[in-house]
Amino acid sequence: MIEAIALTKSYGPRLALNNVSFTIERGEIVGFLGPNGAGKTTTMRILTGFLPATGGDARVAGFDVFESPMEVKRRVGYLPESPPLYPELSVGDYLGFIAELRGFTGRARHQRTGSVMERVGLSGWERRILGSLSKGYRQRVGLAQALLHDPPVLILDEPTSGLDPAQLVGIRDLVKSLAGTHTVILSTHILSEVEALCPRALVITKGQLVAQGSLDELRAMAPRGDWYLVEVDGLDGPRLGALPQVDLVEPLGADGAWRTFRLNARVDPRPAVAELAREAGARVRTLEHRLPTLEEAFVSIVGRE
Amino acid sequence: MRAIWTLWKKEMRIYFVSPLAYVFLSAFLFLAGLFFYLGVTLTGEASLRVLLGNLAITQLFVLPMLTMRHFAEERRLGTLELLMTAPVSLGAIVLGKWLASLTLCLLMFLGTLVFPAVLAYYGDPDWGVVFTSYLGLVGVAAAFCAAGLFASSLTDDQVAAGLVGIVLLLPFWLVGRAEALLPEEWADTVRPLSVLVHLDSFNRGVLDSADIFYFVAFTAVFLFLTFRSLESRRWR
Repeated sequence: MIEAIALTKSYGPRLALNNVSFTIERGEIVGFLGPNGAGKTTTMRILTGFLPATGGDARVAGFDVFESPMEVKRRVGYLPESPPLYPELSVGDYLGFIAELRGFTGRARHQRTGSVMERVGLSGWERRILGSLSKGYRQRVGLAQALLHDPPVLILDEPTSGLDPAQLVGIRDLVKSLAGTHTVILSTHILSEVEALCPRALVITKGQLVAQGSLDELRAMAPRGDWYLVEVDGLDGPRLGALPQVDLVEPLGADGAWRTFRLNARVDPRPAVAELAREAGARVRTLEHRLPTLEEAFVSIVGRE
Repeated sequence: MRAIWTLWKKEMRIYFVSPLAYVFLSAFLFLAGLFFYLGVTLTGEASLRVLLGNLAITQLFVLPMLTMRHFAEERRLGTLELLMTAPVSLGAIVLGKWLASLTLCLLMFLGTLVFPAVLAYYGDPDWGVVFTSYLGLVGVAAAFCAAGLFASSLTDDQVAAGLVGIVLLLPFWLVGRAEALLPEEWADTVRPLSVLVHLDSFNRGVLDSADIFYFVAFTAVFLFLTFRSLESRRWR
């Protein structure tokens, strides 16, 4: 449904996207992950036909974005990073305008705006002025705008930013309800969002696609071994790192005399750590095995900065 | 076509739900009233010459301010992205905005029709001249709105867009007095570019195809430049 082939985009001398290729199947909800400035928005803008790519090809809903942008635009709902609203207009006027822009007139226009407002939880808000809405409601109007023509493809740039927890759940349920019938690509830097919504994710950093796959596959890309959390009084990092089982030691902080470390190891290092502590007369408060979280996988994939 | 109509309606709605349209209409009509009163009392003739001549130059300052928000504000709000990812052509977006600003100008002119009515009550104006003068005014409005939109397409700062618009239009005014600044042979070359020269025949009641062509071409060139400026910004 969405296909990017060797997409490249440069802004002057700066390379924003470098040879990015991916495919998204019909009905999939795919998370688009990456730190700020990684190229998520640029990629989405290219897919919507707003920006031309410097190189490469993109096909959305069976049409080439560069050759038939109109056909693509008809089939895509797009929510930019900040909802594109006219502060002077009311919710009803704004959505009516969008409906007309999308070719709905008369009764169809009325029916479309009514049903989309119900869908995103805006019923009864027709007369509210957009400029007076809170961030969460602005986001809903933005989403309503993207969903209005019931497009087969939805491109959502950080759809849940600025929402309170209750709204978050509402919007997530809405996105989930689109699975199967709609193809959704949503960008975010909140990983729990991807865990909640997307069976599959693309990870992009510095303009390059560095990983893609199911969440389990991404987790498996975490550093070599497993993570262990150690809280000790009387041992320092180098001594822990000197253990043959330990590949990596990261100090995480201190609480009085207690110091916290994170160890990465392929073989369970806990007996060795306990042994070392006993020999050195150190005290141990925590010694536990931590399953790699998506956060850790993500950080190790995109690299630390 | 329908997209232009949709966009026109949106622009008109924004004009009239904000104070913008009311401020412009009342300011313009106030100035028009002033010019009319001064024109009639100072010259003592039943003509709109002073009024219309001054309204034309007023537009030089008013219209860039009327159009400055169009693209600058859309870009700042991110709504330009909305329009450009909707299934409408860039040309429709430009035309919708141009027609909306021109419509507001026509409303302003409509308000000034009270002055020829007053003249007709007390005197006997030359209706042919009144008609062509108004036509000239519309020509100026069409041309200056296009130039103002072009200025607005260059930046996302409204005030900068307004200033650029005025600075862009001033030369077209000043070359009408080019003989004061330039050697005579140069002055003769640039004078046809002047708005004043072409407006003058409208104000004298003369309809010349060259003058009509001037305003049509002026408008078309700036609408085209607006289109290209928006298009090229996508590439950067």
